[in-house]
Amino acid sequence: MILRADHIAGAFFVVFGLLVLALSGDLPTGSLSMPGSGFLPKIAAVLTIFFGIVLILRAGESKPFATLSWNDAKHAGMVVGITAAAIVLFERLGFLTTNILLILALLFIIERRRLLPAIAYSVGVVVITYVLFVYILKTPLQAGPLGF
Amino acid sequence: MESTLLSLAHGFSVALAPANAWYAFLGCLVGTLVGVLPGIGPLAGISILLPVTFGLNATQAIIMLAGIYYGSQYGGSTTSILMRIPGEASSVMTCIDGYAMSKKGRAGAALCIAAVGSWIGGTFGVLVLTMVAPPLATIAISFGPPEYTALIVLGLIFLAYMSTSSLIRTLLMACLGLLLGMIGIDNMTGHFRYSFDLAELGDGIGIVPVAVGLFGLGEILSTPSAGAVRDIISPRLRELLPTRREWNEAAMPIARGTVLGFIIGIIPGSAHVISSFLSYAIEKRVSKHPEQFGKGAVAGVAGPETANNAASTGAFVPLLALGIPTSPITAVLIGALMIHGVSVGPMLVNEHPDVFWGFVASMYVGNLMLLVLNLPLVSLFVTVLRIPYAYLYPLIIMFCIIGVYAVNNSIVDVWIMLIMGVVGYALRKFDFDPAPLVLGLVIAPILEQSLRQSLIMSNGNYLIFFSRPISLGLMLISIGLLALAAYAFVLHRTDWRTRLAKAEAGEPER
Repeated sequence: MILRADHIAGAFFVVFGLLVLALSGDLPTGSLSMPGSGFLPKIAAVLTIFFGIVLILRAGESKPFATLSWNDAKHAGMVVGITAAAIVLFERLGFLTTNILLILALLFIIERRRLLPAIAYSVGVVVITYVLFVYILKTPLQAGPLGF
Repeated sequence: MESTLLSLAHGFSVALAPANAWYAFLGCLVGTLVGVLPGIGPLAGISILLPVTFGLNATQAIIMLAGIYYGSQYGGSTTSILMRIPGEASSVMTCIDGYAMSKKGRAGAALCIAAVGSWIGGTFGVLVLTMVAPPLATIAISFGPPEYTALIVLGLIFLAYMSTSSLIRTLLMACLGLLLGMIGIDNMTGHFRYSFDLAELGDGIGIVPVAVGLFGLGEILSTPSAGAVRDIISPRLRELLPTRREWNEAAMPIARGTVLGFIIGIIPGSAHVISSFLSYAIEKRVSKHPEQFGKGAVAGVAGPETANNAASTGAFVPLLALGIPTSPITAVLIGALMIHGVSVGPMLVNEHPDVFWGFVASMYVGNLMLLVLNLPLVSLFVTVLRIPYAYLYPLIIMFCIIGVYAVNNSIVDVWIMLIMGVVGYALRKFDFDPAPLVLGLVIAPILEQSLRQSLIMSNGNYLIFFSRPISLGLMLISIGLLALAAYAFVLHRTDWRTRLAKAEAGEPER
């Protein structure tokens, strides 16, 4: 049997639905005349499992899993990593510093742009955005330890 | 009637005040750019710019934010037609025939028809909003929980039926959205659900981080910059005028799209998205040449583009008359007004006539501005797309972070956005459309409350949905649509949606 994309996707949704049901254990289902807080989540979880199974059963219509292209995964992973680092730093370093570092990292590390133009671009656009928001539009942005 | 016209005249005096007209223009301009740029939808655009309006008065704030909303509907058509990239979700259907028209050398005509259709749809919407908002509001007020439940179920089934991906995939996404929408405190019992002791999740997962993550960041993750080579067709000004035949072919779809879009706009859900899908389906059904759809049918551009603009305006009816948000975007708009101390609802027109009528009049002005902006300046907007993607996407990520963080000053929201970006990337890999997920998230609280209230009202009797005329009608339509979809699904028949999906993917029909 060829492993197909919908086998994986369907299995994921079945597991996800089961996980939701497991996490819903302490939520009261109630009765039809007085539904509890677990009523609709459990219905939605059961439907998710059901549709997941149907997806698996009809997986023959989908692409073989091996043919899915993951060429962009490295790029996506690096963007996610750098963005996650920026989120960690955002409240500590503030808008200005964090976003200069974010854009610089994306341009220099991922896009392999030359350092000086990348620095000029990242500083330029972030400072312009900062001035636009803070001084012209009077909208406060997250400040860092140095007040900006 | 006379008092309405007098009030509208007062509204025009407010809307045409230089400062207000400037903010309408600014909103339309930014909205068009938001629509043009893939990766930023109207929701992300409005969310990002919400903090900008803190320094404005309520009238200017709502005029500007609404301008972004309906401006993005116009702008979204540009990239759809010229590049086959929907600037935002409601322009997906325009891609199919709009781009096909471009390939045939009719890009200018497609843009003109889209802009004129959008203008007619938008202006008609405002006209109806001005005249009949109160009676429509009265009808909507008479809706009880069973009607709301039936309406939302119909909305979901409509979405599943109209989707070009499979019924199962759409329903799976909707279920996922419903589950996400049930995170947080249960309004009826006070139970915490799936919040994992995170106080920030007590209020549930916000629509902004989910939408920005799925459609903003997710799009970026799925688009490696090296592969983002753009073949942009830039029409010349003299090529903008459609032929007489094209006008004739566009006339009825524009008329149908106007009425359909406005009506759907009033219904809760992602009205502008659903209306464009529905309009496309209807145009294909009523067309004498359905085989032309996917190959550059004028009706495939005129109908959906008109419908999504009319729906954008229609969505303001429950917003202004009842204070009910019918979409995440109108929910953000209500929030913006509340920040300025204006309560949206039936009393708005009496308590804040400047805001109400100024806003209504600004939409007439804004739609005219957009017509002027979108036709002659189309080449200018296309120029924005010539910025190398490697330089563009870091900016979009920065604005995504600012916009999501600024709404609640919550870093948890930004983390949710990042997670949703990864989810969006994975969904695209496995050919899932994330739009039903967002719809599920938005309607989950309304669906849950109305369903539970209905069952409590009927003492647990499901027949309540079939014993009241309006909900019965809505449920019968739902069942009919499900039966049609199930027929094709069970018998493995190739129905029009499959053929449409194949046409979209460029596969030959069998």
